[in-house]
Amino acid sequence: MPLGSATGAMTHARTGAPPGGRAAVAALQQRFARQDVAAACLLFVVLLLLPVLPGVQGWMASQATLVIVYVIAAQGVALLVGYTGLVTVGHGGFLAIGAYTAALLTKHYGVDMLVAIVAGGVMAAAIGTVLGLIFLRLAGPFMAIGTLGFAFFVGTVVNNVTIFEGRDGISLMPTNTLFGQPVGDMGFYYVSVVALALVTLFLYSLLRSNVGRALRALRDAEKAAESSGVNRWFYRTLAFSFSACITGIAGALSGLAIHFVSAEVYGDIWYSVDMLVAVVVGGSSMMMGPFIGGLFVVMVPFFFEQLVDFASFLKGVVLFVVLVFAPAGVCELLARPVRALRARRIAALAQAPAAPVGPAVTAGR
Amino acid sequence: MFGQQVMSGLATGSLYALTAVAVVVVFRNTRTINLAQGDFSMMGAFFALILLKQFGFNYYAALLLAVLGVIVLGVLVERIVMRPIADSDWLTLFTATLGVYYILHGVAGWLWGRDTKAFPVTFNPAPVDLLGARVSEGHLINMAWAAAIGLVLYLFFRFTKQGIAMRAVTDDPETARLMGIPVRFVIMLTWGMAGFLAAFAGILTAPIIYVGPQMMDEVLVKGYVAAVFGGLYSIPGAVIGSLMIGVAENLAGGYLGSQYKTATAFAMIVALLTLRPKGLFGIQHRREI
Repeated sequence: MPLGSATGAMTHARTGAPPGGRAAVAALQQRFARQDVAAACLLFVVLLLLPVLPGVQGWMASQATLVIVYVIAAQGVALLVGYTGLVTVGHGGFLAIGAYTAALLTKHYGVDMLVAIVAGGVMAAAIGTVLGLIFLRLAGPFMAIGTLGFAFFVGTVVNNVTIFEGRDGISLMPTNTLFGQPVGDMGFYYVSVVALALVTLFLYSLLRSNVGRALRALRDAEKAAESSGVNRWFYRTLAFSFSACITGIAGALSGLAIHFVSAEVYGDIWYSVDMLVAVVVGGSSMMMGPFIGGLFVVMVPFFFEQLVDFASFLKGVVLFVVLVFAPAGVCELLARPVRALRARRIAALAQAPAAPVGPAVTAGR
Repeated sequence: MFGQQVMSGLATGSLYALTAVAVVVVFRNTRTINLAQGDFSMMGAFFALILLKQFGFNYYAALLLAVLGVIVLGVLVERIVMRPIADSDWLTLFTATLGVYYILHGVAGWLWGRDTKAFPVTFNPAPVDLLGARVSEGHLINMAWAAAIGLVLYLFFRFTKQGIAMRAVTDDPETARLMGIPVRFVIMLTWGMAGFLAAFAGILTAPIIYVGPQMMDEVLVKGYVAAVFGGLYSIPGAVIGSLMIGVAENLAGGYLGSQYKTATAFAMIVALLTLRPKGLFGIQHRREI
């Protein structure tokens, strides 16, 4: 994975350009960063306007809700896989924890939707912290297998423990209530867009904060980071619980969105594996990666509803093609021209010979 | 009761061992955690079922052909999918086998349907007496097969040139290459061996459960867990891990209730990994991955 980008650009600017050029480069980079933020805002405006666009029908809103929920779940996975460098194959377990927490609270105590969603996230975060402490002892592939075992365990529990009602599932009321007001499918769509925006904002600021820098430093050079005083245990456990929390929130949303939580869906370990696919296909270390990955993983089975086997086959082929031709994900592939353009502009401004990869990485990250 | 539980646990465990050993063999030579291992088995079971039912082959002929078929499948996967990305990091390799998983699932579902099919039982279902425990003949046959395959593997790794070459690649691929060992051929052989073990795992498991695209999913997870017992590196460790899981889950199923059966493997792995993060028989500070 590429090293922290800003530093590369800075050193480059320092060595290759006069002082005036350096400030100009920094200003240009800031402008590019603002452009990225503006693009993201535009995306959310489009998402908010989606239901009132001409030609959009009701079922599309519910389908879009599922995509959004999946994107949030994938964002949780991406925080671990992409930015922390830990591979999890068990986040379906956290999705299930979130979904069941929300469903049980709603069914037995009739709590508000907001309470159910927050409780789902908190429950997943609590369990995630404990599991993080165990799993962080494991290196690479061992952690993948350990987390897969966790998803499997959750599947067994929800299949067999009576309160979770196994494959019969927990049925919920067809409308959710938010602050005492009933929320229909369309309303739920807006709730999920807001949730997606909040999670994205949270991740964006987290990754720009000291925590994000510490996580990336640990990912790229664990020993060097540790000897510079970065507390590996603290930051990685923190990342693990944040990641579990985000996926738990997604789980709560998904359970409430379809008003039905059963072991047939949430007890399936391949759900977890699908989330990893979403992150790998989309691009694990870019903000927009989970968006593309979530869209892919939800829409392929949707378009090929009658051809389940073809959908599975297609998923495998696409996965392989992505791994060979765009190992950093589809998002990176799409961002390449933008990056090249920006790198050229920065290079021209700094009047340096040829810009190496350093500045190119900055764009879109 | 206790002896019976232990015996049938050992029988299930010896089937897990076929998967666990294949996972270990592939991982230590190629750094790949093979998620498609269960699908190789599934394909083997389907091949055998079709040869038996539609072409009326006898059991052993069908077994032989199915094993050969899955070996070819394993080698093809290596050539077509794994070799182009062989130098990538382990996550990429892992995800690529996931792609194979999806493709094989899709192909099997498309060719033979998603519903489960019964595999003809060739043994006498009545239990026999062994050391005071009543054991089904099927369990004994499975254990015998697993033991025979174990012996073949032992002899292969110990005495044949190819087996020794495989171990050399495991120990140090770079030096092995410099010493003139054809590493690419050895990697191909590794995937062939994964296919060989998978075919037996599938065909021996099929009469106990069923034949269908999902048949090996659960076995695969347990095979992984068992492989971790051997630190993803040691074959005897993987075998012992498999037997332990088989016995433990049977005892849990017998004494606590069948719903605890599958959770046992996970409880064991968490306990083990908390105490020894790289497995029971793993070399604790071997490779940095």
